[in-house]
Amino acid sequence: MHIPDGLMDPLVAGAGWIIALVILALATRVVNRRIEERHIPLMAMLAAGIFVAQMLNFPIGGGTTGHLVGAALAAILLGPYAGAIVIMVILVIQCLLFGDGGVTALGLNFLNMGVIGCFTGYYVHRAFPGKYRRAGIFAAAWLAVFLGSLACALELAASNTLSGGAFGIAAPVAIPSMTIYHAVIGVGEGIVTAGILAYLAQVSPEMLKMPKITAGRPSAHEGEVGADA
Amino acid sequence: MHSRQMLKAAAVVLVAFAVGLVFYFSFSAAFGDGLEKTMENAGVEEREPVYKAPLSYGDSYSMALVMGIAGFAAVLGCAFLFGKLLAKKSA
Repeated sequence: MHIPDGLMDPLVAGAGWIIALVILALATRVVNRRIEERHIPLMAMLAAGIFVAQMLNFPIGGGTTGHLVGAALAAILLGPYAGAIVIMVILVIQCLLFGDGGVTALGLNFLNMGVIGCFTGYYVHRAFPGKYRRAGIFAAAWLAVFLGSLACALELAASNTLSGGAFGIAAPVAIPSMTIYHAVIGVGEGIVTAGILAYLAQVSPEMLKMPKITAGRPSAHEGEVGADA
Repeated sequence: MHSRQMLKAAAVVLVAFAVGLVFYFSFSAAFGDGLEKTMENAGVEEREPVYKAPLSYGDSYSMALVMGIAGFAAVLGCAFLFGKLLAKKSA
C-alpha cells in the first residue's frame, strides 16, 4: 500500500504532508513526555522486525499479494503515538534507501498506514473486553488495514477529481478495488498479528505488560495486551 | 529488553525472514500488491520517481536477503537513536 511518486494530485499529496507533520509533531510530543528507557529497545526491534516483514508479500489469489503493515501490532505493544513513530521510521528508510513509496507521497503513506493503522488498531483492540481480546487483536489488525486502504482509495479518487483525470484513479475503480483486495490482505494481517502476540505472550510476557504510551493518564488496564487471555 | 534478549530477538526475526523469503520468491515475487493491482485495473502506469533511492530490495533471494538485513540494521539503528533522543529530552 506504499503510494509511489506521481500517482496523487500535488494538492492531495501536499495536504497529506501537512496533516502528517502535525500528527507527527503531536506524537513526538506525547512520546517525549511518556517514554521510558525500557520502551526504546522494543521500539527499535519492532520497527526493524516490521520492516523485514513488510518485504514478505503473501499471495491472496488472483495474482495479487499483500504484506503485513504492522501498525496494529506496534500500537498494541507500545500505544498509538509510539506505534505511529515506529511506522514513520520504517516508511522513511523504505522511501529514502529503497525507493519503496514516493517522497511526495510520504505524508499520505504515514497517514494511511501509520496514523489510521495505529489509532484504529490500538482503540479497536482496547474496546474488546478481556476474554475476547484475541478476537479483538484480529479485528483491530483487520480494520487497521481495511480503513487505511479505504483512505488511500479516497485519496486516489480525490486526486482524480481535482486533476480532471491526470492523477489518481476514479472512485468507481479505486474504492471497490482497494477495499476488496485489502479486506483479504487484512485477514493475513489479523492472523499474523494475533500469532506474533500469542508467541510473545509465551516467550516474553513482560513485553506485553509494558505501559502503553498514550496521551492520557495511565489507566488501570495500562500495559495489558491480552494475547494470553 | 536487555542486550542479550535483543540479540536473540534479532536472530529470531532474521531467521524467520530468511525462511519467509523462500516462500516469497516461490509464490509472491512475480505479483503486485493491492495498490499495484488497483493501478493495473485502472490502466495507470507508475511514473518516474521524484527521488531515486540508492538501493532496491533486489530480484534474487541472496540480494533480497542482504538488502533485508541492511534495512533491518538501518531501521533498528534509526528507531533506537530516535527513541534515545526522545527519552533524553524528556528526562
